[in-house]
Amino acid sequence: MISENMRHKAVATGWLLLVVLLVSLAIKQGPAFDSSIFALLPESEQNPVITSATEQMAEDFSRRLILVVSGEQGGAVRTAVKTAASALLELDEVASVVWQVSDNELEKLSDELNPYRFTVLDEDLRQRLLEGSFEEIKARALFRLYSPLTMGNNSLIEDPFGLYAELSMNRHSHLNLKISDGLLQVPDTAQPTYMLIVNLAGDPFSFKVQNSVLGVVGNLSQKVRQAGVEIRRSGMLLHAAAGARQANSEISTIGLGSLLGIVIVVLLAFRRLKSLLLMLLPVAVGCAVASAVTLLIFERVHLITFAFGAGLVGVAIDYALHFLCERRVTDSGFVLKKILPGLGLGLFSSVIAYAAMALTPFPGLRQMAVFSVVGLVAAWLTVVLWLPLLTRQDVISELSFAIYLAKLRAGLPRLEQQPLLIALLFVASFVAAFGLWNSKSLDDVRLLQTSPASLINEEGQVQKLLGAGSSSRFIVISAASLEQCLQLEESLAVDLNMLKDTGELQGYRAVSQVLPSLQRQQYNAELVGQLYQSSLAGFYLGLKLTQQHGLDSTANLTQGQATLLSPEAWRQLKSSENWKDLILQQTDGSVVTIVSLTGEVDDVLQARLRSIVTGYEGMYYVDRVGGITELLTSYREQIVDWVGLAYLLVFLILLRRYRMQVWRILLPPLLASLFTLALLAQIEQGINLFHLMALILVLGIGLDMGIFLTESRDHSHTWLAVSLSAYTSLLAFGLLAMSNTPVLHHFGLTVLLGLTFVWLLVPLMRNATPGEND
Amino acid sequence: MMRTLLFILLGCFPLLASAGVTFSQLASVSSTPEQLSGRFVQTRYLSALDADLVSEGVFNYQRDGFIRWQIRQPIESELLMTPQTIINRQDGQELLRLESDKSPVVALLSSIFFSVMTAEWEVLENYFLLSGDIQGQQWYADLLPKDSSVLQVVSRIELKGDTLLREVILHEKSGDRTTIQFQQLLNDQ
Repeated sequence: MISENMRHKAVATGWLLLVVLLVSLAIKQGPAFDSSIFALLPESEQNPVITSATEQMAEDFSRRLILVVSGEQGGAVRTAVKTAASALLELDEVASVVWQVSDNELEKLSDELNPYRFTVLDEDLRQRLLEGSFEEIKARALFRLYSPLTMGNNSLIEDPFGLYAELSMNRHSHLNLKISDGLLQVPDTAQPTYMLIVNLAGDPFSFKVQNSVLGVVGNLSQKVRQAGVEIRRSGMLLHAAAGARQANSEISTIGLGSLLGIVIVVLLAFRRLKSLLLMLLPVAVGCAVASAVTLLIFERVHLITFAFGAGLVGVAIDYALHFLCERRVTDSGFVLKKILPGLGLGLFSSVIAYAAMALTPFPGLRQMAVFSVVGLVAAWLTVVLWLPLLTRQDVISELSFAIYLAKLRAGLPRLEQQPLLIALLFVASFVAAFGLWNSKSLDDVRLLQTSPASLINEEGQVQKLLGAGSSSRFIVISAASLEQCLQLEESLAVDLNMLKDTGELQGYRAVSQVLPSLQRQQYNAELVGQLYQSSLAGFYLGLKLTQQHGLDSTANLTQGQATLLSPEAWRQLKSSENWKDLILQQTDGSVVTIVSLTGEVDDVLQARLRSIVTGYEGMYYVDRVGGITELLTSYREQIVDWVGLAYLLVFLILLRRYRMQVWRILLPPLLASLFTLALLAQIEQGINLFHLMALILVLGIGLDMGIFLTESRDHSHTWLAVSLSAYTSLLAFGLLAMSNTPVLHHFGLTVLLGLTFVWLLVPLMRNATPGEND
Repeated sequence: MMRTLLFILLGCFPLLASAGVTFSQLASVSSTPEQLSGRFVQTRYLSALDADLVSEGVFNYQRDGFIRWQIRQPIESELLMTPQTIINRQDGQELLRLESDKSPVVALLSSIFFSVMTAEWEVLENYFLLSGDIQGQQWYADLLPKDSSVLQVVSRIELKGDTLLREVILHEKSGDRTTIQFQQLLNDQ
């Protein structure tokens, strides 16, 4: 007896050391979190090129805040723009504000490409050269000379055919903007409308950045509203701030509410603070060890893992409650012996259920599986090893709460005695299954959306005004060098221009539009040479220019043909500013460029783009929104399969021990899940991933309930333990149903319904207790 | 002290204003008929060659609608401008079409030219600073761009007229300039 006690102590100490070791190792490594939805994508489907391109696009987007200022009076609007710019520039959190173009920048902008007029050509002009429509080019040049409008520089010697005039006429920025009064004006609006682009110095998810930047903008909006000026905003910063605000308010309302509820009921039931602390200890150890091990294995813990892993509390608390309730009626030395089979089986079945997820190809699910299994084992070990030692001095005293609950339960009918109830359950199950069969599922990206509708609306207005390209749908091109990327883009442009001509594609933006490949530039120079050769003499004769003029012009051409726009020179240009973000230099020296698409991209067009892209090496079509939807769909389908498999495995294991009684354990969570899903299909828009994830939790707690009750032959204190477990989980997660964050709401609502059903179904399927007739 | 100074300044203001010409004064002297047609002679001076390119033809406009500019000599060419587009036709074929919503330069260009031709002083006021004088029916206006984006298109505009606009000189920053003289103006179509 003594030696057994000593051994127990030694093992308990060993476990303590292991916990301390794991946690300190994890702390040493430093916590790292991942919130990118793409980290959840199966590895095989995740191309590093696409990943880095999407990350780059997201990064650019997240660091940018766009302000659109508009009002009745242009003067007031311009003043507001200037005030906003100077106020924002004062902040440390703002790296730069793009809001004005100085005279000298404008001068540079208008002339900087002139030296490259023979090698960088306007696309339409290039087409005419290719078709050999020299007469048309000549006619256009003549028209420019005699037109009352001055269109570009009419330098008859340097550029008789107005190559540069053609280029500068058609050059436009990627945003729908013009420069007026040195400010960036949005054209074609009912009211004078100007724009500012704020580049943030800090992380948009940092509270400090959110507070200072949005504080300044908010104050200003209020101030200028009196002058009839409106400021609209767009940017990740706003969504991040809205999310943080919402999370804060929900933690302080829902979170505190549920914690308070749990503490009150546990204190009421046990009437001892020590019991509450003992109950929370295994949960805390479970969470700490699970986080530590997940971090050590995966290096970064995904936030969704945490959200799901938190659900573990509900299962982990079972073991503690079960022990503490049993301890009240059993002597210190015998508790463990009595409940160990139940505890063991409970752990085993839950671990099997969760571990099944580890076999899926999804890294997200695998991480959740590791987190859950480790957490459960740690909580279980803590209960088995530490709680007996910590409760050695406690006296036996029955809990009045347990007796009260048992009475309540005794009033409920038992299923086996009520054929009507059986029939009712059958009908209900049939109706539920039928309803489910006809229900639809929902894998919309909006599930992950956390921002209020007003914000999304404001964002949409700004994007529409600016005619900005989509940051979620684009084409990625990967090659060994920039030159190769540009050449690929030029081939792709032929396809894209065809789609543009038919009106299917509104437009696109590619670096090659402003920086042609060197190969293309050389060819351009040749084409221009042909034009000069065939048309210059005739053109000059018509204008009565001398032969000397002709010689001067040809000399000019020869010099210009050799002036190629190198990528290095291009990067120095003022006009390249807005295009640089389309080039991503990879660490291995290779280059990735992005072709962004403007306007609506519908399913038909997407299919066209996908098939075009497959024709080229190293070219990919990326649809982030669709990608997320597909991701949600495949996760949902996988989870359904694995939940099914988990039930089957658990059934086989439990069958060995419980034989014909196994239905008492399995049926409650199974039916509860069915009813819950059927109800959800009716009250929500469709079944989604997060509903199903919550059902795994319902299964875990439901199984424990059935196993513990069966093991203890439906002892009153066991019933208290499982009731408390259901109740605490209900409070901890069910209350999330009130959350405004879709993910949490879906999770919470499912737990709320599911656990309520389980708790109602379990007593119906109980075994006859002594005193009750069978 | 400040108040006295302000008083003096405010007192001087009507004097200062009368020294120049305001856009509203010009609007009251000149008339802007709904429709107008006539002949034009255009001389473009090219500074680099120190040479003039002369062209002539006919034009007509509909206020707020279009300007049709038909060059007869030395080439046959037609320019049709609306606030949204600039279209050039030669030999009945559309040679050039510029959409102002696609190019900010085109938008600015057509806006200025439209306002000059149809004497929309309130639009010109957005782009230019005004000086000049009015003597009886004759007026002269000298417009300098307020804005450097306008400067890229035109560096200075001189306008002369009586009830109608008679001469326009458009200066470019390269030193080139375009002089347009109007004759046989007819506003009762």
